Amino acid sequence: MTAPQRDPAAALAADSGVPLVRIHELAVTHDGESTAVPASVSFEIAAGEVVLLLGPSGSGKSTLTLALNGLIPHAVPADVSGSVEIAGVDTVSTTVADLSTRVAMVFQDPDAQLVTGTLLDEVAFGPENLRMPVADVLARAEAALRRVGLWERRGENPDRLSGGGRQRLAIACALAMGSPLLVLDEPTANLDPQGIEEVYAALADLVAAGDRAILLVEHNLDAAVGFVDRVVALDHDGRVAADGSVDDVLRGRADELQAMGVWLPVSTIAALRLRRAGYELDPLPLTPDELRAALDAAPLPVVERAKPRVVARAKRDETPDARVVERAKRDETPPAPLITVRHLSLRRGRTEVLHDVDLDIAAGEFVAVVGANGAGKTSLIQALAGVVPPPKGTVHVDGVDVGRADSRTLSARIGFVFQNPEHQFIAHTVFDELAHGLRRQHLPEDEVRRRTTELLERFGLEGKAGAHPFLLSGGQKRRLSVCTALVAGAPVLVLDEPTFGQDRARADELLKLLGELNDDGTTIVVVTHDMQLVTEYAHRTVVLADGHVRAVGATADVFGDAELIEGAGLRLPPLSRALRGLERHPELAGIARLADLPAAIGDAT
Amino acid sequence: MTATGPLTTGQSLREGFDPYAQRAQASPVRFLYGVNPLAKLAAPLPAMVLLVFVRDAATPLAFLALSYAILLIGVTFTGRLAAILVALPVGAAVVGLGFSLWTDASRVDQSVIVWQLGSWTLYGGALEVGMATGLRIAAIAALTLIVGLSTTGPELVRATVQQLRVPYRIGYTALAAFRFVPRFGHELDVIRQAHRVRGAHGGRGPFAAVARWFGYIVPLLAGAIRHAERVALAMDARAFGAYPDRTERHLVPFRKRDTVFIVLFWAVSAALFWMLAPWGLA
Amino acid sequence: MAADTRLSTSVLLTCAAIGVATGVLGGIAGWITVPVLAAVPIVYGFVLGVHVLPGIIAQEALRLPWVALITHGVAALVGIAIAPIYAGQYIGTAILFGGIQELVAALVRYRSWAPWRFFVSAFVIGLVVAVAVFFAAHLGAMPLWAQILYLVLSVLGPMAWTAVGLAVGRALRRAGVARPRAR
Ligand SMILES: Nc1ncnc2c1ncn2[C@@H]1O[C@H](COP(=O)(O)OP(=O)(O)OP(=O)(O)O)[C@@H](O)[C@H]1O
Ligand SMILES: Nc1ncnc2c1ncn2[C@@H]1O[C@H](COP(=O)(O)OP(=O)(O)OP(=O)(O)O)[C@@H](O)[C@H]1O
Ligand SMILES: [Mg+2]
Ligand SMILES: [Mg+2]
Repeated sequence: MTAPQRDPAAALAADSGVPLVRIHELAVTHDGESTAVPASVSFEIAAGEVVLLLGPSGSGKSTLTLALNGLIPHAVPADVSGSVEIAGVDTVSTTVADLSTRVAMVFQDPDAQLVTGTLLDEVAFGPENLRMPVADVLARAEAALRRVGLWERRGENPDRLSGGGRQRLAIACALAMGSPLLVLDEPTANLDPQGIEEVYAALADLVAAGDRAILLVEHNLDAAVGFVDRVVALDHDGRVAADGSVDDVLRGRADELQAMGVWLPVSTIAALRLRRAGYELDPLPLTPDELRAALDAAPLPVVERAKPRVVARAKRDETPDARVVERAKRDETPPAPLITVRHLSLRRGRTEVLHDVDLDIAAGEFVAVVGANGAGKTSLIQALAGVVPPPKGTVHVDGVDVGRADSRTLSARIGFVFQNPEHQFIAHTVFDELAHGLRRQHLPEDEVRRRTTELLERFGLEGKAGAHPFLLSGGQKRRLSVCTALVAGAPVLVLDEPTFGQDRARADELLKLLGELNDDGTTIVVVTHDMQLVTEYAHRTVVLADGHVRAVGATADVFGDAELIEGAGLRLPPLSRALRGLERHPELAGIARLADLPAAIGDAT
Repeated sequence: MTATGPLTTGQSLREGFDPYAQRAQASPVRFLYGVNPLAKLAAPLPAMVLLVFVRDAATPLAFLALSYAILLIGVTFTGRLAAILVALPVGAAVVGLGFSLWTDASRVDQSVIVWQLGSWTLYGGALEVGMATGLRIAAIAALTLIVGLSTTGPELVRATVQQLRVPYRIGYTALAAFRFVPRFGHELDVIRQAHRVRGAHGGRGPFAAVARWFGYIVPLLAGAIRHAERVALAMDARAFGAYPDRTERHLVPFRKRDTVFIVLFWAVSAALFWMLAPWGLA
Repeated sequence: MAADTRLSTSVLLTCAAIGVATGVLGGIAGWITVPVLAAVPIVYGFVLGVHVLPGIIAQEALRLPWVALITHGVAALVGIAIAPIYAGQYIGTAILFGGIQELVAALVRYRSWAPWRFFVSAFVIGLVVAVAVFFAAHLGAMPLWAQILYLVLSVLGPMAWTAVGLAVGRALRRAGVARPRAR
């Protein structure tokens, strides 16, 4: 991210008089909850300041943002103690409509912020509600659309925009309200890499202009740290754990934040690890560029690091290989791949979306499928799992022709996890949800009970057996959806964007779970836009572009080829970006995984 | 999409439903687009109500012809319009035939025998009754097409807000609802796929189908309501409902020509009823 | 009217969501009308009963004044988008069914939401539908047994669909989505 460096004088100059926002010992208890989250938060935001709000999942960041413009308690029922004042006005005693001219919001899901039929109408919606004269409405709308670069497309239906475009539109809508404070709650969580880049380019422009204060809640710090003035971090209960400049908080207390469960920029995590391995990195780098610069300035660490690196790298890779080798030794024939795809061309509607795809996946592999929006990733894995029947004879799983098999045969061999777990829930209790798959196989009820209970325990859901699946937390729902796909005993698990719309911590938890399943022998195929997670966990990566397989190979090799990745409309993960083209440390160049970095001195992993 | 003609409420859901799309400029002869939606609703209303009680064939036929004339002049001619105009009489004939089979033979004129199958006979009188019913339904449908084929949903909503004084918060709720349609359609597709993969309510026959559809409704509505709540927050955050009224940039005026349209239509309707005198008044 | 009683935006949009989902059903019911009328006209009243769903689900989920009428309005707009030929029918049923449901709820001052109340509105709707369709489709020309069957089915239709709507509402509540709320 190349954010224009910002003039700190802008923030300072505005720093006088009543603060724009004053939050004093704010505690919010949602209706139906017993504990207050956040428990107690106090801080101020001055006009023109750019503040990043961090905290572990569930620490009340979203709740706090809703309290800023009075949606809590006016629209979302909750108990509020303490106070929030915007330019001296208390939010509880003012209406949301009144506050909307002081605090503008951008939410996570771009689709959930659209009301009208064209870009222009959408941006005009807020000013029209304020009963402004038509000329003023149009002037504001034009100014806002121009700032995010969408003025030329004002007559179009917002549906035609990409995800990133729609989120820029949401920013324009917020700008049109004319409020001095802009609050963004994970504005990029639902976007692909290109969309994220677009949104941050737009935000960087705003920050450079310096005319609005911004409060940003974001898990994807790699893009955001470039332009924030200040960081406020909440702890697990929702109390302020740190409040200060980026240097003080992120560089100074990184270890502490990481221990608290706050997500840090990948470059910082990498740097912390490298420090432990003996590299001198001071100050702590926050962005890929800073990491590269710091490494190029740092001398070689005192201890020779080449060996541990190889060991570390081999560790995860050996799982499938070792098994393959063992099996090869046992029956003296090369193992047939578990999934074979031959000459797969798939039509959707009138267009062919996959063209002559060939692919082999061996038992025990962890394969990632990546590609730009519309590249055909979903279509490919749906064909693998028979969600969309592929042409006969093109896809075989464990010797079964997917194009001919019935759903019961298939579900015993391959489990499919949909993007939104709620879509695939069919029963009224968690227990029945799992038992359904076993009862379909006509197993005796004892057996069903035993296996279901086993699985629930394994996934940490035993306490929820009687609960309705829809009432689980987001992370629990995701685990349950994986369970349902596994319960029939499928040796292959296919997941479509399992990390979409989730924060990094939850995404990491899920992938760890998949890693464990994989270690136990389950073959995993996953589609995701999160390149860093791909590189952390997948053995092999398939790159799709326009319905063609652009490349298949070991993950490290695929991400070592920057041209290939960018040619497919993707972005390198932050760590590869930082380490690519290092001059001083050839031993680090080409590393893509945090786990591959040299380990701490005396640490075996 | 706009190249094939103006977009109306009748645009099919599957082929990229976009109720907001800008309508292509139609030639001024296609006058129906310029008429206020409420006028297009009000004008045929008396005729539609009266047609319910008509029993002859000539009156519905006359109104069918009237609607066809208005549609052919007032709406851009497209393949879709042609298909509808052809399908309507065919549908009427099918319905009419169906009705004549159901008609109690003892109550009708049994002089003409149209068809005989074993002990069962279709009399000309029954066919007459059935066809009149089919025509009546076709005529009522054709009258509705006058508004249906020339009005977009948002226009209709705006007219109810601007002329009927429906509160704008309710009007905008309806406008936001148009956004939900394609989204929920897609969501339903995914839910069906997911349930099929999991083998929920397999089996054939109407009862399995009903159980299956019932299984889709809860996840669909649950997702829909949550989405709606998020949209509501976003709207509130943009001062929705701040004042009793709001600036309106899209005006759907009720002009003199709208009154003229209504009055003319009523006059023609009255004349037709008087001339054909379906109740034997003349 | 409703704006003065100030339903919250979230309630309004929830109505819209329910209206869209049920409006799609209504749209489908619209398209099967012609085959039904042609083949077995006496069950037409039963099919028409599906149009009670928007109001029932909205009232059962939200338990507030006006929600039935608003949801019916949205469902009608969506139905028109799917099957423009039935525009008149959709608008008519929305006003009629929604109005009756709203009226019955208003008579008990929006205090009782017991199932019997929903079935009362369904019964009234069934009678009204039966009479209207009786004339429109000239059912007087049919044999007496068919007329009686038709009448029974027309009244049963809305009742049966009301039961379906209540079941959906209950399932939603179990899933923790629909909760009656304050304005
Ligand atoms: N509408 C609601 N009703 C009841 N409880 C809620 C509601 N919204 C949030 N909560 C609860 O409040 C707590 C704080 O949630 P919040 O969404 O503010 O956390 P967060 O810090 O934004 O987390 P994340 O990083 O996952 O977005 C959680 O325990 C959550 O379950
Ligand atoms: N049901 C469908 N009918 C017609 N076309 C479809 C359908 N589903 C997908 N497509 C088209 O097929 C192409 C590939 O879609 P697919 O969903 O497989 O892409 P993807 O790589 O998963 O994209 P994304 O990252 O957006 O999920 C796209 O151009 C899409 O528009
Ligand atoms: Mg949050
Ligand atoms: Mg996809």
